[in-house]
Parts: sequence; structure tokens; C-alpha cells
Amino acid sequence: MVAVHARPRLPSTGVHWTDGVVVTTEGTVRREEDITVTLPDGRPIVATFAGRDRGTDLAVLRIPPGSLPVAELGDPAVLRPGNLVLALARLDEGGARAAFGAVSATGGKWRAWKGGEIDRWLQSDLTIYPGFGGGPLVDSMGQIHGINSGALSRPLATTIPVGTINRVVAQLLERGYVPRGWIGAAMQPVRTDEGGGLLLVSIEKDGPAAKAGLLLGDVIVTSFDQLLDVLSDDSVGRKVSLDVVRAGKQRMIEVVIGERPRRGGRR
Amino acid sequence: MPSGLFLGDAAARLRASVVAIVDDAHGSGRGRGAGRGGHGAGFAWGGGGGGGGDLFVTSAHVVSSRKAVVVTPDGRAVEGTVVGRDVDRDLALLHAPEARVPAVTCGDPYTLRPGSLVFAVGHPLGVKDAVSVGVFQAVGAVPRGYGMAEQRPRRGRSPFIPWVQADVRLAPGNSGGPIADVEGNVIGVAAMIVSGLALAVPAPDLERLLSQS
Repeated sequence: MVAVHARPRLPSTGVHWTDGVVVTTEGTVRREEDITVTLPDGRPIVATFAGRDRGTDLAVLRIPPGSLPVAELGDPAVLRPGNLVLALARLDEGGARAAFGAVSATGGKWRAWKGGEIDRWLQSDLTIYPGFGGGPLVDSMGQIHGINSGALSRPLATTIPVGTINRVVAQLLERGYVPRGWIGAAMQPVRTDEGGGLLLVSIEKDGPAAKAGLLLGDVIVTSFDQLLDVLSDDSVGRKVSLDVVRAGKQRMIEVVIGERPRRGGRR
Repeated sequence: MPSGLFLGDAAARLRASVVAIVDDAHGSGRGRGAGRGGHGAGFAWGGGGGGGGDLFVTSAHVVSSRKAVVVTPDGRAVEGTVVGRDVDRDLALLHAPEARVPAVTCGDPYTLRPGSLVFAVGHPLGVKDAVSVGVFQAVGAVPRGYGMAEQRPRRGRSPFIPWVQADVRLAPGNSGGPIADVEGNVIGVAAMIVSGLALAVPAPDLERLLSQS
């Protein structure tokens, strides 16, 4: 566990996930240069920014291998509501800090409000204090079950589980970002004779929807949830057939899912 | 499971030393916590040259005038006189000879490890003698980013003000009450919350701060 200095004033916490790789929360990384981390023995070392994914609130930094021990990960099946857990943090002043509580709820896949898909629902009743974002959730044996996210913790402390972290870290180390499926159109839910649909209210120039020949006023016969499932992390480049109603007539339109354009800079 | 989790004995012993302090400000509205009809907390302290049982530590902001009412655990309301005050650390010392409450034992927060269980006893939001459990984080300066302007004691006694910092849920009515380790030794006097973090005046400082009255 290290302190991460990637924003003014207050450090965040990071976890030495695999040798030379530190994971922290994306929201706490406000700059991509001049990042240092503080090791358990108090020494600061330079870290290089490797990538960020806003959707799952994860960011990855690289440090020299062998700088400190690697995280000991726990078995996700072990944590159940009522299990005592600690949220750990390393702020710069002094050593490690802890906050204490119990697992409140666990569950299956869910979509974070920032858009990312998280493999397991893991909430606890402990407090994520300033600087605790990016720190590990540990059980009474000291094994790590995920990384605590201040940004996703409303109202209960939310932990991004090991499975999601492994998946996202692999993509961030390879590409620096997680490619997300994108159609390039703004939509509005409407009720149609067939049930529900999404009305296209704007179309991005040269985006996948435009290239597929979709027009303003087309209604895609689907729901937001179904569409977001289709546009999951692995969908870029895939062809998908959409049921479209245009001027009262139904037709199938094939769209090649594009990659969500990355905004320059942090946000 | 460590026996410390079952705090029954330690909590019961400490509660027997915790009192409620009612500000005697005649409804002038001054003083947070006690002055507006709520209770501040305090505890019987054996230091400061007293024999034990008639001296009570509380927060300075709980007692705005020279007199206050001390309500004992068995429900008796007795008169107390403020005999010491440290405004920098928000501490006050009350003398209430008719109280006859057992004094606490004090412990040393500087020997606690982060993550050690601690508990607070007070009257949060008017609930009498409530116990709140959490973990010790550190004793020292409050980290930047917690919304606390860097504090320097007015008389320049030390470079920074050390606070016992703990992950314990405190509410108005806890001020002046004890925060104790797992054995019931008082390690601090509950003072305030910053960004959800509980701050307490370290118990080892009490003798030095309050004996000079």
C-alpha cells in the first residue's frame, strides 16, 4: 500500500497490485506527470502514469519492480454481509490508517453511474475518509478484496472487486484506456405500438450511426439497458443489427460499433 | 475472535465514570452542545491534584460560565464549579464534590497501533451513556484535506496541536466525553469531528493542561 501524489493538497492511496504496477482510483489522479508514490518505509519514488478508466474509476501507475511486496488477494466468495472488514489508507503523514466496519451487501454485476461494468456488488458500512480512495478493502486475515472508491460510494462505501480490477488493469497496461462501444447518437426513450423504443434526437457526424444510414427521427426498438449491454467493453468493431422504425415502417439496419472518442485531458 | 470485541465489561466500567454536563448559562444561548438544552459529556478524573471522584473533565465549549450542573450516572444532579479551562485545546475542569463518581484510568494513545479498537461514551444527540465503537487511526497533526486549518496554539507552546484521531461515530453530546482503548483506559477527550473523523485531546496532555489552574 502506498500513498499516491497525483493531485494537489491531499494524497490518495494505491495498492501494489502486481510487481511494478500500482492501482488507485481514477478520480484521484488529477495529473499525468510528476506523480510520486510514498512507500511503506516513507521513501518517495517516481511513478509513471500508465492509464485510466473513468467508467470503473480505476487508474494504473508503473513503479520500479521490487519496490515493495505485492498485494495478497482474497477469495471473493469468502465475503458475505456481516463479515468484518477494514478500509486501509496511507496518507503521507505517519503510517497506515484504518476504518472499520462490516460488509453490508454483496451481489452480482452492476453498472456504475460513470458507465463502467463492475463484476460484483460489494458495499460496506465503513467510512471512506479523505485520502482513503484507492485503498484496499481487507478482511480479518489481511487479504485484499478490492479497492475502495470514494466516487462510487453513495451512500455506502463501495469497493471495486478483484475481478474487475484484474480485467481493467490488463487493458490499461496494454492500451492506456478501456475502449468502449459507441454508436454516436443521442436518444430519447419513447413509447411505440411495439412497446418501447429509443428515438434518435441527434446524430454525430461521421459516427457509426451516421455511417450506417440512421436518420433523425428513427426509433430503435430496444431499451437503454439492452443497448448498453450491446455496447459493452468488448464490442468495438462488432456488427449489430438494429430493429428500426422509420416513418411507420420497420426495417433492419446494421451498425458497426465504433469506439467512444476519448476526450483530450482528464475529464 | 479477540475478546476485545466484546466490550461489555470495559464499557460498563467506563460508563460508571461518565456524567452529563448541563450548562448553567441561563438560556443565554452561548456555548454549543449543552447551552441549548442538550447535554455535553464529562468524566471523573483523578488527576490535577484532586483525590478522585470530585474533579470532572469536559470540553470548554460545553461550559460557558463558571457554574454547571453535573448529572451523575445514577441520576443525581449536583452543582459543579469550573476550576480550570484551556481554551486552545477546548478543555475545562469542573469541581463537583457531591458527585462521588469513580475516576477513570488513563491510557497512552501514543502506544496504540492503527486499527486498534477504541470506543467512546457520551450522550450523542441526547441519548444517555451511549457507546460508539471504532478504530484508532493516529495521534498527531490532522492530515491536510480534512478541512481543518493548520492549527497553532496561541501561546506558541508546541509546533502543532496533536489530536487523537479515530474512526468512531461521534455526534453533538459526545463532546467532553472519554474515548478509551479496549481495556477501558481513557486515551482522549472527545472534541470534534472533521470530515467524519473523530478528534480527541490526548489524555497524557490533561495533567499538563489542567493542573495549571
